[in-house]
Amino acid sequence: MNNALALAGIVIKELYRRKDFYVLFILTALITLAMGSFKLFNDDQIVRYIKEICLKLIWLSSIVIAITTAARQLPAEKEMRTIFPLLAKPITRGQVVLGKFLGCWFACGLALLLFYTFFCIISGVREHHWPLLNYFQALWLHWVFLAVVTALVLLGSVIFSAVSANATISFIVVTGILFVARHLNKIALQMTEPGRSVTYAIYFAVPHLELFDVSDLIIHDFPQISWGICGLATLYGATYAALFLVATWLVFRRKSLN
Amino acid sequence: MEYRSREVGQGIKIAVDGLNLDVQAGEVFGFLGPNGAGKTTTMNVLLGFVNATSGSASIFGADVRQPIARQRIGYLPELTYYYKFLNTEELLRFYGKIFKIPAAECERRIDAVLKLVELEHARKRLIKTYSKGMQQRAGLAQALINNPDLLILDEPTSGLDPVGRMKVREIIQRLKNEGKTVFFSSHELGEVETVCDRVAIMNEGKLKVAGRVHDLVEQYKMNLEQIFLKVIGYEVNS
Amino acid sequence: MPSPKLILALLFAICLSCGSILQPWHQAWTGVEKKSGSALETFLGDSRRLFANQIFAKADAYFHSGYYPTIFDAPKKEESHMAGGEEDDAHSTEETNHVEHVEDSAGSFLGPPRDWIDRFSRNFFPSRHTHLEKNGAEREILPWLRLSAELNPQRVETYTIASYWLRSRLGKVKEAEQFLREGLRANPESYEIYFELGRIYEQNHADPLRARNLWEIALRKWEESKKENDEKMKPNEVVYSAIVGNLARLEEAQGHLPKAVFYLKLLKEKSPVPEEIQKQIDEMQTKLNASPQK
Repeated sequence: MNNALALAGIVIKELYRRKDFYVLFILTALITLAMGSFKLFNDDQIVRYIKEICLKLIWLSSIVIAITTAARQLPAEKEMRTIFPLLAKPITRGQVVLGKFLGCWFACGLALLLFYTFFCIISGVREHHWPLLNYFQALWLHWVFLAVVTALVLLGSVIFSAVSANATISFIVVTGILFVARHLNKIALQMTEPGRSVTYAIYFAVPHLELFDVSDLIIHDFPQISWGICGLATLYGATYAALFLVATWLVFRRKSLN
Repeated sequence: MEYRSREVGQGIKIAVDGLNLDVQAGEVFGFLGPNGAGKTTTMNVLLGFVNATSGSASIFGADVRQPIARQRIGYLPELTYYYKFLNTEELLRFYGKIFKIPAAECERRIDAVLKLVELEHARKRLIKTYSKGMQQRAGLAQALINNPDLLILDEPTSGLDPVGRMKVREIIQRLKNEGKTVFFSSHELGEVETVCDRVAIMNEGKLKVAGRVHDLVEQYKMNLEQIFLKVIGYEVNS
Repeated sequence: MPSPKLILALLFAICLSCGSILQPWHQAWTGVEKKSGSALETFLGDSRRLFANQIFAKADAYFHSGYYPTIFDAPKKEESHMAGGEEDDAHSTEETNHVEHVEDSAGSFLGPPRDWIDRFSRNFFPSRHTHLEKNGAEREILPWLRLSAELNPQRVETYTIASYWLRSRLGKVKEAEQFLREGLRANPESYEIYFELGRIYEQNHADPLRARNLWEIALRKWEESKKENDEKMKPNEVVYSAIVGNLARLEEAQGHLPKAVFYLKLLKEKSPVPEEIQKQIDEMQTKLNASPQK
């Protein structure tokens, strides 16, 4: 585990030394502040649209950060040949995969913390109301979502040869799941066999990432989700993340590094 | 360090065929051969990057496929690329953690190896700002961070200027004096002849000749370069 | 070889000349140059109307605190009850009283959960029918209505709905009037907007004279639109009923009973309950006959 954590530290260092994260954060902040500066109908208490815009930007930025960071980890190690001095040390390929995952996930977590802090400040200043536990739940579920996405993209990185192909496909898959997965059962009902069975199979097989998006509950000031439900969702996400990581390890350990 | 291999290769190409080699503790062993002879493939098998199709390899009695086999070795790859966003100190600290070197001991070793490779002045600079020679020396530093008993160096003087090559030779000599085992491949036959105790020459995946440098020179009545050319089948104009 | 800077300057001059020659030609080709320099209009072109519809639906979704059917859900027949009006006031009061009525099992677009994933997922998004009922919470729909109006100024109900919430729930009468007038500039023939303006003057400014003028204009516009759009688009008879109904009520309050009767007769033609209207007419006729002629 120490090896994995050491590697995770390197990944985090890489993220905060690259410029992408800062660009996305500044973009999110600027757009949110710009949107918030409008005084519509002389009413400065309107806040939900700002919350929605901010949260949408946070989600978009986090997906971009997670996918672009995770997609380049293993391919960059091979391309830059840093994998050789790394694997020449007493570290297994499984630890490398775990370390890369933890690094990407923790880095995304730090980014999320910053984004959500900004969101908290912006919404609190307008609403004069700080539902911190609700925000914490949203942040936690978002982070679990990013664990699944990171693991999925890492799997893609050992399957696809090009980083750009992996990133593009991952982005399409993730956004597709977010928008459509919840409705696949309804779509299946309107289909005939064998399409119906295939759609149902996909519906039950894909990780339902939309479960982790509680933006609407935050925007419209719904009460907290029960902690038990939150825990179950965490377990659900952790299971899929573990599944993808094991698959990644199984593929990576057989891969020739030349 | 032992090779007990029959063949290594994938598909129809046999990269290394029937290589059996022993390297004794404390000796400097030169691993020679023209391009494509199988030197790097052999090293890759030793380091666990590639699995042998048949046969086995072990380091200090441990199968090379186990991570523990790499606890006491240091490896310098031919092409030295390291994490560009790190400086040398951070890189060494990272590798020190993988070797589970305690923090205080790790800091002491970082200072020692940086002094050895003459990179103290650039320890806080990002590696991406280093010249080729500095990167090579950073590579040597990371190969030495765990005070290894066996050093595997793949063309350590490749791309270095004469001063750089001299420094590398001095380091190898110093390590030999400390009783370390050094296993390295090189095209620089002059420095191999100077530094090595024993050499092995490979060609087309097969071991052609192995033995003490002095004994080979006596046997063939030629210098090492001429022996090399003869063994690989290149006609030498006398 | 001429200097690169000279070549660049020459190319720039050629581009400027081409631009100045082509610009009037393009103007002639596209017709009257638009007065509005809206960035949204420039970037989106005619597709902004599609976006406007989506944004309007967004306002409705906000009114329902995020509980809203997607394109995958079976559409409900009832229209959006974000629309303003006394009938919607009554409806929203009913909803408040019955907000505990859980519709998930039968009445909602979601229906009962189809599987364990569906059931579990309902914890993570709004799955209960509610309205924005807290004091002033209705303000949250305004940005989307504003944006929808920006994208499609010809959608009249955007202005009327926003105006209703602004004046009746948020106490922003001046802003409501301003917005309606903005809508009127984009839609000078809109009887709905005239009607809403009349309501503002009657209910908020206590100016029945001006209200009457506006409602009379609204009635005239309605009748003109009926003549013009007979085949294309049926003008809204609900609004017509509201106009003549309000005019009748106003005239009665002002003591102009003959006019009130006149408007009630117009109302009777369209009303689903003509007998009730007739009763009112009869009562008014009685009063008219009873009062001494002046």
